[in-house]
Amino acid sequence: MKISREYVCDGKPVAVSAEWIEADRWRVRVGDQTFEYHAQALGDGGVWLAPVGQEFDRSFVAYGAPAGKEYMVRVNGRTHTLASPSVRRGRGAPGADGTIRAPMSGTVLDVHCKTGDTVTADQTLVVLSAMKMEHKLTAGLEGVVQSVAARKGGTVDQGAVLVVVEPTKNHE
Amino acid sequence: MVPTRMASNPPFRRVLIANRGEIAVRIARGLRELGIESVAVHSDSDARCAHVMQADHAVPLHGNTAAETYLDVAKILAAAKRSGASAIHPGYGFLSENSTFARAVIDAGFVFIGPRPEAMDRLGGKKAAREEALAASVPVIPGTEQDHGDASMIEVARKIGMPVMLKASAGGGGRGMRLVERPQDLAEALVAARREAKASFGDDRMILERAVFPARHIEIQILGDKHGHVVSLHERECSVQRRHQKVLEEAPSAVVSEALRLKMGAAATALAQRVGYDNAGTVEFLLDEQGNFYFLEVNTRLQVEHPVTELVTGLDLVHLQVHVAAGGRLEQMLAGKDLRPRGHAIEARICAESPENGYLPASGLLRLVKEPEGPGIRVDSGVYTGAEVPPWYDSMLSKIIVWAPDRAMACARLSQALSSTAYLGVPTNVDFLRRVVDDAAFRGARLRTDMLRLRPELAAGPQQGPEALALAAAVLCQAVEPARVANGGGRNGGPGAAVVRSDSVWRELEGFRLFEARR
Repeated sequence: MKISREYVCDGKPVAVSAEWIEADRWRVRVGDQTFEYHAQALGDGGVWLAPVGQEFDRSFVAYGAPAGKEYMVRVNGRTHTLASPSVRRGRGAPGADGTIRAPMSGTVLDVHCKTGDTVTADQTLVVLSAMKMEHKLTAGLEGVVQSVAARKGGTVDQGAVLVVVEPTKNHE
Repeated sequence: MVPTRMASNPPFRRVLIANRGEIAVRIARGLRELGIESVAVHSDSDARCAHVMQADHAVPLHGNTAAETYLDVAKILAAAKRSGASAIHPGYGFLSENSTFARAVIDAGFVFIGPRPEAMDRLGGKKAAREEALAASVPVIPGTEQDHGDASMIEVARKIGMPVMLKASAGGGGRGMRLVERPQDLAEALVAARREAKASFGDDRMILERAVFPARHIEIQILGDKHGHVVSLHERECSVQRRHQKVLEEAPSAVVSEALRLKMGAAATALAQRVGYDNAGTVEFLLDEQGNFYFLEVNTRLQVEHPVTELVTGLDLVHLQVHVAAGGRLEQMLAGKDLRPRGHAIEARICAESPENGYLPASGLLRLVKEPEGPGIRVDSGVYTGAEVPPWYDSMLSKIIVWAPDRAMACARLSQALSSTAYLGVPTNVDFLRRVVDDAAFRGARLRTDMLRLRPELAAGPQQGPEALALAAAVLCQAVEPARVANGGGRNGGPGAAVVRSDSVWRELEGFRLFEARR
């Protein structure tokens, strides 16, 4: 039995795999490194891990679960959200490509732009209400508003495109 | 404490809990301990929420938004009638501080487990409370509670100087509050704050006060009965906040001396007694570096952070709320009890949000929930593995509360508890909470209300990518768990083996007794 994954670390894809050896021992490859681990499921969703030969010095309880298209793992007191290279983070982080998306499901409180408007990077384009808080969504870059899908009072799903801004060409 | 016969002769037969999530679970538990049946209400998306499972009965409130469910007075009252409840506990948030709701509850013939509506009117709104505090000679922050429109507010701000704090007159807690640092931002801030206040409280009037920095947030838990008695159950410190939402709360405060505790307790109870306050409430203050305290507001309800007071006083505030609402006397219930704080308690609020990404709240499926356990650890939770976090309500999932003999040990215990906690499937603030608890300033009790704003690195977290261990753990978690299921629990020595070890050793030890000698 062997499973293989690819995760983005510091911007670069890293191949990761786990191959069963015997009993609770697995061969784990992370990029060009190879490790051997004991791994035992604990029944509460956790997995006990220890590098073979270091069982008495280094062992961990890890918890892992999918989170949307990503994989969340909590080990050694830190939570990591790992993305596959095929899953680009289209989370509406402003400044990326001029597409302003809803960071989460909510209600559009206000739309401060219309098609054809020239906008600056820190200009608020849409005010979204979600989880009882107001979120100001800014343009993220200079440009001209190409289209406005957000309607005041409308409800939107996470990731929905609200406004598309065509970046100003001489921005660089 | 409360006579034990109370349990066999409970003050109410059935109580409706007009709330959701962890606080509804906590109240249902408290009611059951008193021999009272609980009635949960729930929105459509909350039909499988933990509080529905915990309660004895459940009534659906059709709809999803807070406005069409937990804030709908008519629906809540209809549910109470339909369920045969004789009293309503509002929890915190939602309708808990709404005196119109309290009056409607009483007019419909139910007992409201909270203060008298008249007391709520006089202390609940920030404006009214500020006026009462002024009248009771409790020190208040320079500013105004008289809102004559944006122009007059901007004029007051010019007089007292920036930065200023804008607060919803009718508000409680941090909703509708914002800090304004530059005069040119005041007009836009007023528009947004009024809109939030209108949406949250149906009233867009504002209070403007000077922002006191550096300051600590110290609040006094009070409890009154219907016979004119009010006691102070001492302070909680909730200085670790972000955007006026509390993050970590503790009792007692490391900087409140016995003398200051008495002084603040006396101010709080004087204010409460002035308005004939009954049931649980909290009087909030800011404490400056010179040891001066200023009145902030009153929360006329049970607080999110009430468990830390429970842990250091040994009282159960929900039990006491129920008894007081039923007409019980505090002097009987608290007779012979030493109410001085013992040891130290700290609470961490677990929220579905990403502090590393501007505290963006999140919703979705909780794929794995592992809550901490061990001596001195209490978990008040509203979720479970497989629970859905709906996008409609507050993002708080649960609270992890620790008790230890002293503050240093309580910090160590909370850090340990947080490190063995996992809520996976949606982003949470667990790692962030642990960073704050492990921070030297927190350990040293050098707290101030703006510490998270001044130290954004606490929210940002470590910048380096995942170590090899994390990647190995991710792939092993995915390899072992399905393998275990596929191999029938792993008894055959296949991958993921040995969840259940062979029991053959016990079969071989014929006649062996673990805890007694064989005769």
